[in-house]
Parts: sequence; C-alpha cells; structure tokens
Amino acid sequence: MEIAVLLSVALLGAMAVYVAGRFSARGRNALAVLVALAVMVGVALLYGRGVRMAYYRLPILDATLVLRSNPLAWFFAMAVAAIGFFSILFSLEYMKGHARLGFYYAAMLVVNGAMLGIVLSGDLISLYVFWEIMSWTTYLVISYRGGRAVAAGLKYMVMSIIGSCAMLLAIVSVYVHCGTLEIAALAEPMQSASTGFALFILLMFAIGFGIKNAVMPLHTWLPDAHSEAVSPFSAVLSGILVRMGMYGFVLIMYGVLGLGLLARFGSGVLSFGYLFAWVGALTIVIPTFTALLQDDSKRLLAWHGVGQGGYMILGIAMATPLGIAGGIFHTLNHCIYIALLFLVAGAVEYRTGGIRDLNQLGGLAKRMPVTFVGGLAGICGLIGVPLTNGFASKWLIYKALIADGHPFLAFAALVGTWGTILSVYKFQHNTFLGQLPERYKDVKEVPFVMQLPILLLTAAILVFGIFPGIPLGAIGAIQRSLGLEALRVGAFSVPPEVGELNTITILAAVAGGCLVPYILFRLCRRSRTVAQADTYGAGAYAPADRYQYSARFYDRAYAVIEPYVRDRVDAFYYWLVEKSEGVFEAARHLYGGNVNTYALYIMLFLALILAVGFGWGL
Amino acid sequence: MWVVGIIALPLLAIGVSVFFLGVSRKVTARIQRRYGPPLYQPVIDVVKLLAQEEHVSHGMVFDAGMVLALGGSLATVLFIPVGGLHPLSAGGDLLVILYLMLLPPLGLALAAGAAENPNASIGVSRKLILALGYEVPFLLALLAVMTQEGTTSLVAIAEAQQPSVLEWGLVRAPLSALAVALVLPAMLGLRPFDMATAPQEIASGTLVEFGGKYLVLAALQGALHTYIVIALFVDLFLGGGANVLTFLAKMGVVFFGGLLINAVYPRVRIGQALRFCWKWPTLLALLGLVVVMVMGR
Repeated sequence: MEIAVLLSVALLGAMAVYVAGRFSARGRNALAVLVALAVMVGVALLYGRGVRMAYYRLPILDATLVLRSNPLAWFFAMAVAAIGFFSILFSLEYMKGHARLGFYYAAMLVVNGAMLGIVLSGDLISLYVFWEIMSWTTYLVISYRGGRAVAAGLKYMVMSIIGSCAMLLAIVSVYVHCGTLEIAALAEPMQSASTGFALFILLMFAIGFGIKNAVMPLHTWLPDAHSEAVSPFSAVLSGILVRMGMYGFVLIMYGVLGLGLLARFGSGVLSFGYLFAWVGALTIVIPTFTALLQDDSKRLLAWHGVGQGGYMILGIAMATPLGIAGGIFHTLNHCIYIALLFLVAGAVEYRTGGIRDLNQLGGLAKRMPVTFVGGLAGICGLIGVPLTNGFASKWLIYKALIADGHPFLAFAALVGTWGTILSVYKFQHNTFLGQLPERYKDVKEVPFVMQLPILLLTAAILVFGIFPGIPLGAIGAIQRSLGLEALRVGAFSVPPEVGELNTITILAAVAGGCLVPYILFRLCRRSRTVAQADTYGAGAYAPADRYQYSARFYDRAYAVIEPYVRDRVDAFYYWLVEKSEGVFEAARHLYGGNVNTYALYIMLFLALILAVGFGWGL
Repeated sequence: MWVVGIIALPLLAIGVSVFFLGVSRKVTARIQRRYGPPLYQPVIDVVKLLAQEEHVSHGMVFDAGMVLALGGSLATVLFIPVGGLHPLSAGGDLLVILYLMLLPPLGLALAAGAAENPNASIGVSRKLILALGYEVPFLLALLAVMTQEGTTSLVAIAEAQQPSVLEWGLVRAPLSALAVALVLPAMLGLRPFDMATAPQEIASGTLVEFGGKYLVLAALQGALHTYIVIALFVDLFLGGGANVLTFLAKMGVVFFGGLLINAVYPRVRIGQALRFCWKWPTLLALLGLVVVMVMGR
C-alpha cells in the first residue's frame, strides 16, 4: 500500500506542480520542493521492510502487476529520491527566468517518479512501462533548451528505442518460457531453461540496460545528452538515471539468473563474466582518456559518467562478494560525486553567464569558495583519493580483481584512474585556479539554496569515505536478499582475511601528518597575504587580463593520446544512419501507389513462403 | 612497538631525506669537480628560511595546500614498512599507499594554482603528464609483484623476500624490477626527467611562488617524496630489510645510482619523456606481467 501511495504522490504531485505553475510561480516552486521532499521521506521510511503489493490484474495475459520493495530496490530508490530532491532544490535559483518552468518541474518530477517505479516494480510489465515513461520524459527534459539539445535528445531517443525493443523481446520470451512475469517468481523456472535461451535473455536485457548505462560501444548518446541538458538535470541524468542500467544488470544477473546459471555461460577466458569484465575495462579506459581531451566542462564530466560505469561493470562481472559489493557501492558513490560535480559546473555557469568552455574560466576559487570546495571534494571522490567515498569502492574493485587473478583488468582500472586524475585536475584548475579574468572580478558565490545541495553532497562524500561501513551494510543486505554471500565489513574497516583497509587509521595518519606542518607553520611569523597577481615572473611578468595557462593543458600528452581515442563508434553509427536512409529511400520506390503492383508483391511473397515451406518439408 | 613506530618512522624519514639532500649536493658537486657545500647545508637552509622575517602567501588555498602536501607525505611514510617497522600496515595495503601518494602532489598543485603564475601551471601540467607516463609501467610492475605473491600487502611482499637474495623481487621478477628502475628517475623527478621543476626554463615550475616557510614545507615534501619512492622500490624489489640499518643502506645505494644519472644527463622534453615511459619500460613491465601469469598457472 505504501508503495502505491508513494508512487501516486510522485507522479500526481508532478501534475499538481504543472497545474500550480499556471497560477503562481512561488506556489509551483514550493510544491515541487515539497513533493520531492515527501518522496524522499517516503522512501526512507521503507527502509528494511520487504513490502509486496499486487495492484492490477491484466485480463489479457493472466498476469498480476506487482509493486514491491526489497533491499536492492530500496538502495536505488533512496539514491533516486535524494538526487531528485537536491536537483529540484538547485533548480529553484538556477532555472529562474527560464521559459516553461511549470513543464520543467513537472517533467523532472515525472522522471523521478518513473525511476522509482522502475526499481519498485515487482513484475517485468510494470518495469517496462515505467522504463518507457522514464525514457520519453527524459527526452523531453534533454531537449527542453532547444537548439543543439534537440539533436542530442533525438540521438538519445533513437538509442533508447533500440534498447527498449531488445528488452521487450526478452520480456516476451521470458513470459513464454516461464508463464509468469513476476520477477521474484522467475528465478526458479529460469533454472530449467537451456543455456542458449538463458544467454539470449541475458544478452537482450544487456542491450537494453547497456544502452542506458552507456556501456561501450553503446555509449554514444551520453556525452551529447549530458552536456546539452540543463545542469540540475545533468546531475540526475548522470548520477542516477543512467544507473538504472546498473539496477537492471544486478537484477537480471543475480536476481533472476543467479550464480549457477551465470557459471554455465562458457568457461575460462570465454565465459560471460570475463568478457563482460573486458567490456567494463574498455568502458573505463577509452572514455576516460577521451575526457582528457574535452574543453567543455560538462562534456568532460559526461565522459567520466561513461568511464566510471566501467568500474561498476567490472565489479559486478567478477561475481565475488567483494566485486559485487564494490560494483554496487561504486554506483552509489558515483551518483553522489558526479551529481555534485554537475551542480558545481552548473553553479559556475550560473555566475559566469553560461560559460562551460574551460579555456575561458579561471581563478574563481576566491570568488566562489563554497563551489570550489564542492568541486574539490567531487574530483577527489571521482579520482578515489583516500577518505573520499570513491576510494572505498574502487579499493574493493581493485582488490576483487587482484584477488581473483585478473591483473590486466586491474591494470585497466588503475590506469583509468590516472586518466581521471589528469582530466579532473584540468577541470578544477581551469575553473578555479590560476588567473581570474578581468570580467569575473565581481562574480559572487551562488545563493544559499544552490550552496545547500553542494554542501550536503560534499558531506556525503566525506561521511561515506570515512565510514564506508554504513552503505556497505545496506549492500550486504542486498547480497543476502539475492542469495549471495555478503561481504563482511565493519563501520570503517574490512576484516583481515579480506585485506588491509581501515579508514579511521588513514584518517588519523593524514590528520596527524597535517598537524606537524601546521604547527611548524604557526610557529613561524605570520605571512603577509599579497594580491594574486603579485608573482615572480623571472623578468617576464604575466600580463594583467588574460594569461592563464589552460588551453590544451596537456598539449604534449594530447599528441600521443589523441590518435587513439577518436570516437569511431559514433562515426560508425552516423555512417549506419546515412546508409540506412539510402536503403529506406530505395524501399520507398517499391510503393508506387498502383494496386496491381501491390497484388503482385503479395503473390510473390506467398510464392516465396510456399517454396520455403516445400523446401523445408523435403 | 606500535607507538614507537609511529613516532620513529616520520623522524627517521625526515632525517634520512634531509641527509640525502645534503649528500646529493655534495656528490653532484664532486662529479662536476666542485668542492660543494657541507653535508648539513640543507639544515642551515631550513633554519634560515623558517626564521625569515617575512613570508608571502597567496591566501587560504595557498596555505592549506602546503600543509596538505607535507601532511600527506608524512601520512604515507607511516604505511611503508622499513625493516621491521610497520606500525599502520594493518590499516592500509599497497593500494592504499598508492592512493595516499596522491595527496602531496594534490596539495602542491592547489598551492601552486592559488597564485596566477603561469609557470606554476606549466609545472603542474608537466608533472601530471610525466606521472601518466611513469605510472603505466609502474602499475604493471606492481601488479606483477602482487600477482606473484598473491597479496596486496606491502609487509607480506617485503617479508616474502627475507629468506635469501634469491627470493628478492629483483631476481624473481627481473623484468618488472628493470622496468621500474628505468622510470625511477622520472618518479624521483631527477634529470633527464626534471622538466616539472626545471629551474632555468619555467622558474622551478610548481615551486616558483614559494618562499620562507612555504619553501621549507615544499622542500621537505620533495625530500620525503624521494624517501617514499626509494623505500617502495627497496620493499618491492630489493628484499626490504632485516632491520632498519640494512634497509637504509639499500636505500642509499639506490639513491646514489639516481644521483649519478642526474649529474650527467641533460633534460629531455616532456613529450619525449612520455614516449620513453610508454615504450621500453612499459614493454618490459608488460612482458614481466605475462611471465608472472604464465609461471603462476
């Protein structure tokens, strides 16, 4: 019952916001925040409770539509609700003055409601319906700004439809085989399925979820869509919407098929898990190094959205308690820091008049200190600097890969981290450090409602980084509910048989380490603070307005890397589109409009069928 | 023992690394047929800089970045076993060390970016490109060692090499050891790979804005970085140490070798350095990892 109320609030609330927008802007904003907050509280109340509710009986398929909550669903639902709330909060100031705001808020809330619907669906029909609602509303929000955003939205939509078709095919096949669509009841009949059939189901779902999760080579929609969408929605898009694919992967791989069936898909280097892990490794390396070449702040982050997805895939593909826990944990961590980084990029955009070009910014740290700190926490999380959340999950993934004897996969993951370091440092440096251009001398920090989500997400990065046991406890519950062995973990350390990691020890070491230079620092005379421009130039002083070292920040590395990271996949898709347009054009000529010709076609087709039929019979 | 280690290790690290600084100036001078400053010259420099009447700062980020840089180095030192001393090894393995080593350059880069000196930015950019270069063979070599020993714990890796010289990483994984040895000058920022702090070219790069106590923190951080990298090399490939003294002796040998290279080579360009790191050392490290995997089966 609670779930139905929750989803009704989420979806009907969105309609109410749209209607309220017709009367008063203030009322609309208040209502939007209220709905997002209510949904977040509602989801939080579901914690630790296994709820199941049949809400509709389909007369045609003899199937019952079910809503349910379990640890896996709750985990993702909480992330959806929290990121949704933060982005609505951030939108209040960010979106001020834009047109069609009633539509914008309503669509944002519908997207949130649809994502909640996906994770809380207990059967494949509901899941599919909510999946489609999510895809279509997302398209509307991406193309909201018009212009290039429409093209980006269209690209997203075409790929989404392909994914949906694959998913639908899988759902129908599952129904024919199992006679039920309730996810919880699928595991048992699937065990008796032939390996080929199970693999087919898995691959079809993998196409659907893989496109959403932007797994190479199905990732090409993402960089365009993320950079063209408005920033608060980019945070939702990259933080959690894309990760609905991860939810799907965990659900199908471990909730429906299970370890036993997965182990039957080949063995050694030709097993599903191993190949899937290599897909993950490729998804880490190529997009991360592509991010290095980007000059658009949001496009840079978007490529990391693709790249970090690879770590999650690597984790769950390992199928060990360590790997699965790492993969799911990284999904949550990524959601936090990438949402934060998109909000930071949005805050900079907001104060500089929509500038996303990293070569035109610089030196904003002093003008926007809170945003700067948020950006710093975000990039540290993304890199996986110790004491931030990204470190804990990446550590689990590296450890799982090394313990399982996959050094080359571990190498891909570790090198991906170095690509990440270079590119996100460029993001932070070119935006916040170095010379402040003359035209931004009077830039102010963003208003408090925009600072609030930034601060809360920064806090989350540190809390989960220092106490990884909190989220890992919830992940342990997921593993148990899926019938897997759970990773045993304390509040801030893993047991000795798993490895050596204790975040409190690390915190104490870093704090103690910093105390020494701090004392030394204070014992000396106070320093005199000078203007930023008061620098040593070795006789060649930096000109006042524009002397930032940022364009082609890693010039020499680009020369080496650039030839290898062209997006050939995207080019291939465009080629495919061009060619198929030609084919369709040719096909159009077949339809001359003459009834006699059509009759001829029908006769020819029947003749073909008969011929094939006879051939088969013989 | 535990508390002793926590207090002794940083002191030892600072002492050794400052001594190394003094040695480096002397050795370089002798190779260049100069007399050179006394061994304790770095101590004089530190005292002089700390007592300086005026220190110039560029604000909060500048100060905090420098504290983080040295603090991060001291924290890293606590996780690296030296002989029998390894006070915090249960709290962090080689992966943790690898990532703790990111804190000092992060702090340094933040401090360098707080002023608007393009030389500092160029220095950071070069440092990062160079790191991207040497990390590739270094990570491959680390993975070879971790796979061979079946653990990610640096203490376990060092202890496994204790029985005899034949158990040293240098002997058991010679290709990986050679690969790391080739990129060691790059990791230490020695010539021919000192482009990130090139004094004549970009006014010492990241260090350009530091004076007074800031320069002390930066210099100590640099010295500790040398200590950390060499200690890692000794733990990974030169058998660690039965006690602190043998460990330090091995470190001294490695450092001396680095100095000889530093004294005679000219600086290369950053693009050349990147290509070099990704060519021979990477090939060797890759081959080393394959050998380890094939032997392991």
